[in-house]
Amino acid sequence: MNGAMLSILKLMLAQTAATAPAAAADNAIKAGPVMTSSPDQSTWSRFWFEPGASTFSHEVDFVFSFITWICIFFFVLIVVLMLWFMWKYRQRAHEGASSQITHNTPLELTWTIIPLILVIAIFYVGMEGYIKLRRAPSDSYVINVTGQQWSWAFQYPDGSSPQDLYLPLGRPVKLMMTSNDVLHAFYIPAFRVKQDVVPGKYSTIWFQPDHEGTYQFFCAEYCGKDHSQMAGKVMVLNEADFEKALAESKKVPEGSEVELGRWALDHIYPRCQSCHTLNGSTSTGPTWKGLYKRLSEQGEVFADGTDLKNEIGEGKEYSVLEEYLRESVLAPQKKTVANYSASAMPTFQGVLKEAQIRAVIDLIKHLGEIVDDNGKPIGEAK
Amino acid sequence: MTTIDTSNELTLDTSYHSDNFLTHSRGILSWLFTLDHKRIGIMYLVAVLASFFVAGMAALAVRTELMYPGQQFLSQEAYNKMFTLHGAIMVFMVIIPSVPAALGNFVLPIMLGAKDVAFPRLNLLSFWLWIFGAVFFVLSLLTGGIDTGWTFYSPYSIRTTLGGAEISHWGGVAPALLGVFILGFSSIFTGMNFIVTIHRLRPRGMTWFRMPLFLWALYATAILQVLATPVLGITVMLLAMERVFGIGIFDPRMGGDPVMFQHFFWFYSHPAVYIMVLPGMGIISELISVHSHKHIFGYRFIAFSSVAIAIFSFLVWGHHMFTSTQSPLMNVLFSAITFSVSIPSAIKVFNWLATMYKGAISFTTPMLYALAFLFIFTIGGLTGLHLATLASDIHLHDTYFVVAHFHYVMMGSALIAMLGGLHHWWPKMTGRMFSEFWGRIGCALVFIGFNTTFFPQFMLGSKGMPRRYWDYSGPGWDPGVTALFHKYHMISTLGSYVMAIGFFITLFYLLHSLVAGKRAPANPWGGRSLEWQCPSPPPHDNFKVQPRVGDCYDLSVVHWNEQLDGYEVRPDLPPHAPAHAAGGH
Repeated sequence: MNGAMLSILKLMLAQTAATAPAAAADNAIKAGPVMTSSPDQSTWSRFWFEPGASTFSHEVDFVFSFITWICIFFFVLIVVLMLWFMWKYRQRAHEGASSQITHNTPLELTWTIIPLILVIAIFYVGMEGYIKLRRAPSDSYVINVTGQQWSWAFQYPDGSSPQDLYLPLGRPVKLMMTSNDVLHAFYIPAFRVKQDVVPGKYSTIWFQPDHEGTYQFFCAEYCGKDHSQMAGKVMVLNEADFEKALAESKKVPEGSEVELGRWALDHIYPRCQSCHTLNGSTSTGPTWKGLYKRLSEQGEVFADGTDLKNEIGEGKEYSVLEEYLRESVLAPQKKTVANYSASAMPTFQGVLKEAQIRAVIDLIKHLGEIVDDNGKPIGEAK
Repeated sequence: MTTIDTSNELTLDTSYHSDNFLTHSRGILSWLFTLDHKRIGIMYLVAVLASFFVAGMAALAVRTELMYPGQQFLSQEAYNKMFTLHGAIMVFMVIIPSVPAALGNFVLPIMLGAKDVAFPRLNLLSFWLWIFGAVFFVLSLLTGGIDTGWTFYSPYSIRTTLGGAEISHWGGVAPALLGVFILGFSSIFTGMNFIVTIHRLRPRGMTWFRMPLFLWALYATAILQVLATPVLGITVMLLAMERVFGIGIFDPRMGGDPVMFQHFFWFYSHPAVYIMVLPGMGIISELISVHSHKHIFGYRFIAFSSVAIAIFSFLVWGHHMFTSTQSPLMNVLFSAITFSVSIPSAIKVFNWLATMYKGAISFTTPMLYALAFLFIFTIGGLTGLHLATLASDIHLHDTYFVVAHFHYVMMGSALIAMLGGLHHWWPKMTGRMFSEFWGRIGCALVFIGFNTTFFPQFMLGSKGMPRRYWDYSGPGWDPGVTALFHKYHMISTLGSYVMAIGFFITLFYLLHSLVAGKRAPANPWGGRSLEWQCPSPPPHDNFKVQPRVGDCYDLSVVHWNEQLDGYEVRPDLPPHAPAHAAGGH
């Protein structure tokens, strides 16, 4: 039976290989940031998976298919027998059963031992794949990942800290991860990898992207209100594009305050959006709509009872309002607005550079003047 | 144990009694302070079904919110409270007590030919503890709700303030934990009671290997309840102390270890999975044998597999933690041991199939539920292989694949088995027959609705949709992914509505049967275990004389009797001869 299973499996894989060139050609035409890039999409695997894009993903898909075919075999066996018995041995007019057989030890041993052999095989295949996942090559490119409610921060060896996870094609990458608050889990479905991110310790995961394209990352460990919004883009780029993208991410464009604010809307705000709205609705943190005007004209009452309007000016806590806003990004626990949770806002010390903080302040300051791609003021678009 | 009926089994009076346990005494207090295991069982049943209604409504709210991308009618906080409410109530207040506490309480002593459980007062105490624990749960909802998921993972459960303003450390999570603690004691007491009852009150002639398999399953479950539940009690108490008094145990900010919480939690909660499904498997063994009118196939293999599952279940908790930063060596060991659970489960399925072989299968509603169980449990069990396997679990962990898998096992198997058992013993409990026509319709709708709801979730999970997500769109989401997930969520939600209709139909015809149902004979299905040899509903103390015990699965001596409109046990008749042809009652 084992042999039969394997030959069915080989047949499936042969079919996969046959469809591969056509899919690859199809893929070459479709450029752009869509979630297709892997050429190995047979009907079978499309039914279950999105295309895989790491060396590990092909292994996982193989293991998954191997198990699934065994499951299908047994499911069909059981259900067909069940339906057949239901038909053949249906009761007619209160008659008794034609046999009262109680047991058959050899038969029962058979259906104990065959599954036992199969699960040992499944265990072994799964263990082999897993051990590869745990052994990162020593020349892996290391990226630091920090999870916090409800965003991720990536820090690269060259000091850049882009919003999306840029990855070099064909190079082993190792993520060193920790959390600032509660449990999270970093999950890239296209790579078939996932690892919990635990406060107070480092966890690691590695993979080798083998197809250029844009994929999705998620948080997979429940972490509260905006758990579903800790999602973002993984971009697998060739070496040249990768370097370019990293350099690009470090640069803050030059321009007017409005232009800088517009840049911050695209590049920084996604990290803020789960708690700070732009349309005036309440969320975990204060909305940014009209915030600058309100702070400068009316002030703000803090949890410790002090009022912002008494704190700004020569010789006081803050010389200008911008200084308070900067402190709120770097040391948010110092002055917390009354009725908001002190622990909700993480520090962005070391994550955002001075020029980037400047751009965020420009975004808050000129929010009413900034328009989205369709020319609508952004406060109304949401 | 002193009086043994020496006469034939025939002499047992099986006509409908006006003096039965329902009419024995009157008034609400005679129920609330009853020591009768049957009344306690029925009170559990009502409480469990009420909890099922509440948690089911929460499930419909969750499914409706997920029908389309974007916010439908629940905010993030409301959604998170809703799925926590659904999970926590379903686990702690529906599935765990449904079979042992509700059906088990009613059936176990009668199956043993006993007048009651070994400790009737303890039994009443467990019921009241259960109600008390449930009250704390409701209290936690009124004081702000809980949004931690039923797993209470730290440090989120220590810090959660429900998104925004700080609330008291006493609110929300703490009363819920106290509720779990108290419910746990109820479960421990019931388990102890059953263990002693099975050891001490078996009638003469009923050796361990002549016990109905449902009792084997309840016995294995009771051992799990007694050994595992205290660990949960300790864990939730530690968590509550940490939350309320700030003692650092699980929160790294106070020097604790969040992964240790997961070890503690799953050390109970994995065996709890078998507390939920083992009694269901016991019911299925009864249903398939009785409604196929055939001897159970491989009694010893089924009995031992219950015990094997109970033992293995203590050694596999780490498979909930393959991505938790647990060491790779531990992961490999836990993966290997986990596969060992699949073997006794497979044995049971094949033995049930073999029981149907050459049977005389009647498609009564309980049997339809048993067949639905076989279909669903096969899928639920087999997809467990994907999750026990390390390489594939890393991808599937915490996705909808897991959600689909445990609903196939918890709901599609444990709860469907409970419904099968409820229909099987309904005539015995109420003295009334339900409408077979509506019973079959209800079962079919639940079966179709269930599979439509949860099968698409396997695909959703293998395509990468994580669980406990309020939404699958937003600034970080690729629109293509949102559109893809939407298709499956849509099908799943529609399926859940079909299932809900099935449950409502079931509720209505069962209630209707109480007032308008046909009077039930003592033995409507053709069973031979002792509960079918006392009248429906049973008198206050079950049996006037302790009945004699034979092989409860030898159904060749059970014959249809037209006068009784039911079956009767007639060892003096040759097999297959209809009783009325040989002179009747």
